[in-house]
Amino acid sequence: MTDILRISVPITVWIAAFSAVYGLEGVICSDLWRGAGLSLGQGRGALVATWVAAIALQVALLVALRSRRFASPHPWVQRLATILGCVALVATVWSLMPVATTSLCL
Amino acid sequence: MVGGSTPLVLAGCEERLSAVHPAGPAADIIATLWWVMLGGAAAIFLLVVVLLALAFRRDEGPSGETADKRRETVWIKGLGLGFTMTVLAALTAWGLLIGERLLPRPGPDIVTVEAEGRQWAWRFSYPDQPGRVTEDVLHIPAGRPVDVRITSTDVIHSFWVPRLAGKLDAIPGHVNVLRLEAWEPGEYAGVSAEFSGAGYRSHGFTVIAHDAAAWDAFLAEELP
Amino acid sequence: MTEKKRMTALRLHKALYPIWRNDPGWKGVLTTVNNNTIGNMFILGATGMFLAGGILAMLIRAQLASPRSAFMGPEIYNQIFTMHGTIMMFLFAIPFFEALTVFLLPGMLGTRDLAFPRLSSYGFWCYMIGSTIMIVALVAGVAPDGGWFMYPPLSSSAYSSGINTDIWLLGISFIEISAIGAAVEVVVTVLRYRAVGMSLDKLPIFAWYMLVVAVMILTAFPPMILGSLILELERAFDMPFFQAEHGGDSLLWQHLFWLFGHPEVYIIFLPAAGVISMVLPVMARTTLLGYGWVVAAAISLAVLSFGLWVHHMFTTGIPHMGLAFFSAVSTLVAVPTGVQIFAWIGTLWKGRPEMHLPMLWILGFFVTFVMGGLTGVMVAMVPFDWQAHDSYFVVAHLHYVLIGGYVFPMIAGIYYWMPVLTGRKRFFRMGETAFWLVMVGFHGTFLLLHWAGLLGMRRRIDTVEAGSGWESINLLASISGFVLAIGFGLVILDVAVNAFVAVRGPRNPWKAGTLEWATPIPGPSYNVASIPVISSRYPLHDNPDLPVQIARGEGFLAWPDRNRRETLAVSISRGEPEFISVFPKNTIVPFVMAVVTSVMFMAPVFKWYWLMFIAAAGVTVLALVWAWANGSRRDEGLLDAGRGVSLPPHTEVAYKPGWWGSLFLLLADSVLFGSLLFGYAFLWTVAPNWPPPRILQPGILGPVLALAGVALASSGIRLGDRAIREDGAPWRGLLASLAGLAALGAAAATVFAGTTYNAHAYDATLWVIAGYVIFHAGLAGLMVLFLLCRIGTGYVSARRFGDARVVRLWIDYAVLTAALGLGAAWLPGVLP
Repeated sequence: MTDILRISVPITVWIAAFSAVYGLEGVICSDLWRGAGLSLGQGRGALVATWVAAIALQVALLVALRSRRFASPHPWVQRLATILGCVALVATVWSLMPVATTSLCL
Repeated sequence: MVGGSTPLVLAGCEERLSAVHPAGPAADIIATLWWVMLGGAAAIFLLVVVLLALAFRRDEGPSGETADKRRETVWIKGLGLGFTMTVLAALTAWGLLIGERLLPRPGPDIVTVEAEGRQWAWRFSYPDQPGRVTEDVLHIPAGRPVDVRITSTDVIHSFWVPRLAGKLDAIPGHVNVLRLEAWEPGEYAGVSAEFSGAGYRSHGFTVIAHDAAAWDAFLAEELP
Repeated sequence: MTEKKRMTALRLHKALYPIWRNDPGWKGVLTTVNNNTIGNMFILGATGMFLAGGILAMLIRAQLASPRSAFMGPEIYNQIFTMHGTIMMFLFAIPFFEALTVFLLPGMLGTRDLAFPRLSSYGFWCYMIGSTIMIVALVAGVAPDGGWFMYPPLSSSAYSSGINTDIWLLGISFIEISAIGAAVEVVVTVLRYRAVGMSLDKLPIFAWYMLVVAVMILTAFPPMILGSLILELERAFDMPFFQAEHGGDSLLWQHLFWLFGHPEVYIIFLPAAGVISMVLPVMARTTLLGYGWVVAAAISLAVLSFGLWVHHMFTTGIPHMGLAFFSAVSTLVAVPTGVQIFAWIGTLWKGRPEMHLPMLWILGFFVTFVMGGLTGVMVAMVPFDWQAHDSYFVVAHLHYVLIGGYVFPMIAGIYYWMPVLTGRKRFFRMGETAFWLVMVGFHGTFLLLHWAGLLGMRRRIDTVEAGSGWESINLLASISGFVLAIGFGLVILDVAVNAFVAVRGPRNPWKAGTLEWATPIPGPSYNVASIPVISSRYPLHDNPDLPVQIARGEGFLAWPDRNRRETLAVSISRGEPEFISVFPKNTIVPFVMAVVTSVMFMAPVFKWYWLMFIAAAGVTVLALVWAWANGSRRDEGLLDAGRGVSLPPHTEVAYKPGWWGSLFLLLADSVLFGSLLFGYAFLWTVAPNWPPPRILQPGILGPVLALAGVALASSGIRLGDRAIREDGAPWRGLLASLAGLAALGAAAATVFAGTTYNAHAYDATLWVIAGYVIFHAGLAGLMVLFLLCRIGTGYVSARRFGDARVVRLWIDYAVLTAALGLGAAWLPGVLP
């Protein structure tokens, strides 16, 4: 089961972060955000911060998965986990790039 | 002026609903995107077919672990990852750039009109001329950006004038804003593009783009 | 094989056969729990649905052939295209690969059956009964007519007042039980029931794909089931989830539907990719290039596919940044697809491809699917989708992907595994003709429809208008469509004729290396006479003698001395033997339960709620009977498993198969719960007419009950569990747990008291959350009572405490979701 977790955790963390950022964008563009007295500029800041945090988390997971403490004893699982950790990192960078490059709430 | 001609018998022209015969900047940008993507897709398709065909023409290569490692490098890391990611990154960036250009950003000279879909008709109104309402015919000025504020009173519909811009849904409780512009004065066919039940097929409308003088005349017209 | 060895194999067969065989005659059909028999019936059923969906497709093409050929009015036509989509997606595509998996998976893994044989039977019968209901509705003219994705408000009672929509919502939810059931089975089977030594890196690649697909089913179907449930609640009781004027939002349905609907596309594609990864290397006389990469690609594809549902909603007015996220993932998902495509082509280059019929279909797949994938990347571009959406461009694209990417590989698979399925090798040669008819017919039908879409032809219009500019394209499409239909008809005929008439074939005619070719063909009911020990991905290539060794009982659990159905459970990573799983006998309970479940689902269509409750009670009783039949009243200790190894039976391990099944069922349940909370948050942020006029105040009673419930329920079961293991008295702990669950239910009931179910979408959502909490508290409570009965009748001992662990899992889940759900319900009331 631990091996299954090694394989599945990073990419699951990606989908969680992705959903969280999408949800946050929804909140920022809703009346709730304005109602709380926050500006769109602050919204952009929050989105970029979440993106950076998600990337940092993926890097941390990748490092952890390659550390002696968390690495799988099976070389094949270890390699698969590393590939999928890289996939999750690339997916985090790629899929959330729009927080920095597209217009907000338009 | 407020004509009731149904769009579906209008104009014998076969391209009246064509997204690839643009008559405005938004449809034009998207049509360009399409032609470029078609070319790229054809090239990639050809590549795959050639690679497949060649697989049947050659002798068996070397076997063993080193040979397989080399193959993995070429096929999976090179073609599978490198090639696809390069093409897709470029395309994604371009697509988003275009999307940004088509957004209804605030600016001078923008005309706002309102479109309200229902089963199976469209009702258009004009904030520049409060009280003016047209059924199934939308009047806009040519050569100026127009923001269409779209909503629905019953089920979901979609506002689509293919020669001018992409479609945008009319959803009860929401107002969506579509930016479109016609280069030239003329009549453009529009349809609802979200299935809405028995009368869906003929749920259409016409957009009439006026030159500056005709637009002023339209706005100045007495309310009935 | 020497004569002596042959005799041993025959004696072993004679020992195993009476234990594993089906009941004789027609009764056997209803009571069978055998994966081969159920797989066969399942394949036939799904093929029947493919024919039904195909006939509807022909009606559509006849209607659209020319402006003058329309023979149906929109009322009928709308039913036809809705049912075409519904049948092909829900009643053909998913069931067909499930059927193939039920049939093939145990053999590939070198085990005797799927993990939960009765669940195979229950799932199959739910599917058959549900499909029959849908077809009857179609023939009776009350079929659903709102399009296969059923958008409200069009599907709300105000605009669809008949029972058509109810049949869709309830019928499809019912059928999805079979998908969820099959998924739970497949996950547990792949993880725990394999040949010895089959570590994760030696799984046949199809098993990896199916593991991934099964987890996807468990996480993708629940949002849709929730959507169907709340839409049905809106239709039946006017709870305004989708009505804008009362704080609902029709976009919520689209989110829930596509949260299911996009992963669904990959749920359909990945099994086909699994088939290709099995068949193509054999056709090229080599092994799959980049096995690890392909596994990684399948897993990546699966997870990425949960991040692109909004690309079906590009035209709904979501802000561009939101669309951009999903556009980016939609292109990214093409990368693992590309990796697989190039891995397959690389495999062909590595080997020496031979042009057998399965290979022909795989080439058809490549040509067609690559085109579909490329148009898929096009519609992933937000601006282009604004034009292409809901036009025939999309119709053409999805048929390229689904037929090219799913049907063609499945046909390749059927021809490839025909010896395993029927014991016969192909003799009649209609297959090649059929292939070319299908190819010509398919591209003739769909290629130019892309162009019609760009010329403005919308999907779902009921006639092609004269002067539209797309008449000739449609005429060509209709003629080609009939060629395509004849081609598919010939394929089915060819397979049928070969299955019944062709000569008996040799074992393993393709010289494949995987274990499904190690058994006599067609496979016996017990699949393998003994559980083999393997040491590579292609055990038959290393050891051509393996089939003989298996048949002679040189593996594990050969001689059935204990006279019951036994198979081996292994450790997840390494595939080392862990315990002996005892499988159930033939039983009619799953069939009866499927019938009663169908009553439970269909009664609300006619508003017979009394009947629904009676049927629900019936299902509960049957489920208890089901669970009761499993277990032992004495400690057996370590048992001989063969090859000098002794293992405990599954009744004497802490986490028995039922626990693993529960775990993955709860994974699906938790996604449903998560979707519910998502819906709640979505309505709060996006829907019009919020905040609601009246917000629930939690008060004192509810939270106190909830806290007491959480503490009592979770500590009580732990005390009980410990008492069981120490041979003490578990009563006190279990009764405390029961009281805690009752308190949780009461706490949830206070939510009902403080809200009006149909006042506002807020109230309606709170009612569903509270109902969810009560349901799970009640379910866990029922399990505690069951456990008490099991203890009272001697099924539980200090060694046999697995039942308690299962109950603990469900109680923990009920407690966790109650805390989260009630917390979410009360939160707005305590915020300033």
